[in-house]
Amino acid sequence: MLNRRDLLRAAAAAGALGTVWPLSAGLSPAEAHAAALDLGASWDAAPFCLGVGSGDPLPDSVVLWTRLAPEPLAFEQPLPEIVEVEWSVATDRTMRSRVAGGTVAASVLLGHSVHVPVHGLRPGRTYYYQFSALGKRSRVGRTRTAPVGPVPKVRFATANCQAFHDGFYAAHRGIAAENLDFVVHLGDYIYEHGQVGGAHVRDHEGPAVLSLADYRRRHALYKGDPSLRDAHAAHPFYLTWDDHEVVNDYSGTEGSAPFVKRRAAAYQAWYEHLPIRSGSALEPQIHRRRQWGSLLDLTVLDLRQFRSAQNLADGTILGASQKQWLLDGISGAREAWQVWINSIMLSQLARQGGGYYFTDQWDGFLAERREVLGHVASSGLKDLVVLTGDWHSAFVDDIRPDFDDLSSPVIGTEFTAHSVTSGAYSPEWNAVNGPVMGAANPHLKYFEGNRYGYDVYEVTPERFTTHMKVIGDRRDAASPVSTLTTFHVDRGKAGSYEDLGTVGSAAQYRRA
Amino acid sequence: MTELIVNGAAEQGLTGWLVVAGTPVALRYDTGQGYPGPADPGPPQRGSSFFGGGGTPLSTLRQSVTLPRRSSQFAVSAWLGGYASQQDGARLSVEFLDAGGTPRGLVVLGPVTAEERSGRTGLLERSATGTVPPGSRTAVVTLQMTRSGGGTSNDGYADNISFTVGGR
Repeated sequence: MLNRRDLLRAAAAAGALGTVWPLSAGLSPAEAHAAALDLGASWDAAPFCLGVGSGDPLPDSVVLWTRLAPEPLAFEQPLPEIVEVEWSVATDRTMRSRVAGGTVAASVLLGHSVHVPVHGLRPGRTYYYQFSALGKRSRVGRTRTAPVGPVPKVRFATANCQAFHDGFYAAHRGIAAENLDFVVHLGDYIYEHGQVGGAHVRDHEGPAVLSLADYRRRHALYKGDPSLRDAHAAHPFYLTWDDHEVVNDYSGTEGSAPFVKRRAAAYQAWYEHLPIRSGSALEPQIHRRRQWGSLLDLTVLDLRQFRSAQNLADGTILGASQKQWLLDGISGAREAWQVWINSIMLSQLARQGGGYYFTDQWDGFLAERREVLGHVASSGLKDLVVLTGDWHSAFVDDIRPDFDDLSSPVIGTEFTAHSVTSGAYSPEWNAVNGPVMGAANPHLKYFEGNRYGYDVYEVTPERFTTHMKVIGDRRDAASPVSTLTTFHVDRGKAGSYEDLGTVGSAAQYRRA
Repeated sequence: MTELIVNGAAEQGLTGWLVVAGTPVALRYDTGQGYPGPADPGPPQRGSSFFGGGGTPLSTLRQSVTLPRRSSQFAVSAWLGGYASQQDGARLSVEFLDAGGTPRGLVVLGPVTAEERSGRTGLLERSATGTVPPGSRTAVVTLQMTRSGGGTSNDGYADNISFTVGGR
């Protein structure tokens, strides 16, 4: 039987891969080619190997991103300290109708990354952009500004948890092909650990990452999946992070010198590789509120940088300043869909007989969750939808201010999405524990853990619809996408319901 | 090369520094009680004082400086340290920002780990040089001292902080 890696090798040998392969130091072209294939990676032509992207759309602005890395897996790039990079924005894909452009210096001090906040754009428009440097042009990316005023509909996607070694990014291939206004990444964009070996379709490039050079190389490896580059080039991204961008289950306020050093390296590399709008690459402030016309408010949360340790009486997952900002935002929210971008599960997930499955999620910060959700209830915030990653499985939950009190009102819905690739529990575990989790958590309505993919949301003034898009097989980079099921939330009516057309689809738990 | 840091050696207390977080302090080398003293590893010209993290887990000092026109090269250095085998530490960062506030470059020194200090109380020098990224207008110089785990004293220490720029 021919596996994926053999297919890639065969394609390369036949010259069927059109990509220009960067050469790693000390390797012959053939050796570098084979090494990259073994890692399951390919890149765009140098120096724009990692592709292009855009992010944080505002009505008049997006951030354009690229990073020059002619040798993506090298610790040092063969580039001068400063490289001039030209950028341009046009209204057409051929880049003839140019509306903005300029030159920016890419410095070795930020890994030759480029972040251009372009201003003066028109709201609710599609634009195209391109970079050039060292006599080469990048691919053309597509982006979109946020609209203002009444909007009949928005269509967007979330992606989360994309362990490189666990599969190919067929989910991002699906996202790239979707007709979307924007994409939200919910975190676990990279994983920090070393090679996993075994029967995985591909693997990390080396041991656990610790230094800035390590984290840069890891991000460059992940960008070696062409579908991820295609998704970034196709749509603007809003982003938050979870733990694996730094290290499993970390608390950002940990102060030991080795951790402080590692966290700084990880944050800087994350900034360098993504279209982030921030006044700092060292400690980016990523929590923010964004409006998509009068239809939808996005509240992007940072649940890592400012959190304390878990399970403390006075613990915090938000940090004092972000918590106050969130509470104020709840008090002052306008009439619009209130969508929280929440890397890690907000709803209670209690074990039968007591305790919680994971106190790294909001279950480890009980007092703060009570305070935040109590404020949602008491301030009368309506139309709350929380979008979550981390769990590598799909959940749909009713949100209540007190999950243990079934007489407390439903105040919103949480959709936890499938992962792009990161491994879920086994089908056997899911079959047994789906009903167990359902029995112990009366607010849990749905659980499905045997699949991988992404969520697409179609939002109108009347209805918020979540489509769970799943791929057939993580081992196939071109695995087709299908819709597993669809849930709706009606405007002004807290609580979700499953679409009648997919209510019979496969799941390991569904509340009757 | 022009020195852009005011009171980088803590000899005037916290003069010139903005307290961004916690309770940073200027400590004297003759304090005793286990703090770095005149004979511990540290700058040869150490004066009488150094910066410390005080009594909060995170203590941060900052100076935002306007870069002279035609700055081309920079040099940044600091003596950074901690207490015995504890992992409290001090980190100095310089972030270059353009006129719109977008980062154009970042240099991070430290923190110095207990292993790097061989488990001994004291301060070690860390430094970097390079080209000022074109388009940079300001540099944000941040000294952050962190406490590891519990306890009361934040034993991140720093002294002789310097950030200089020069023309071609």
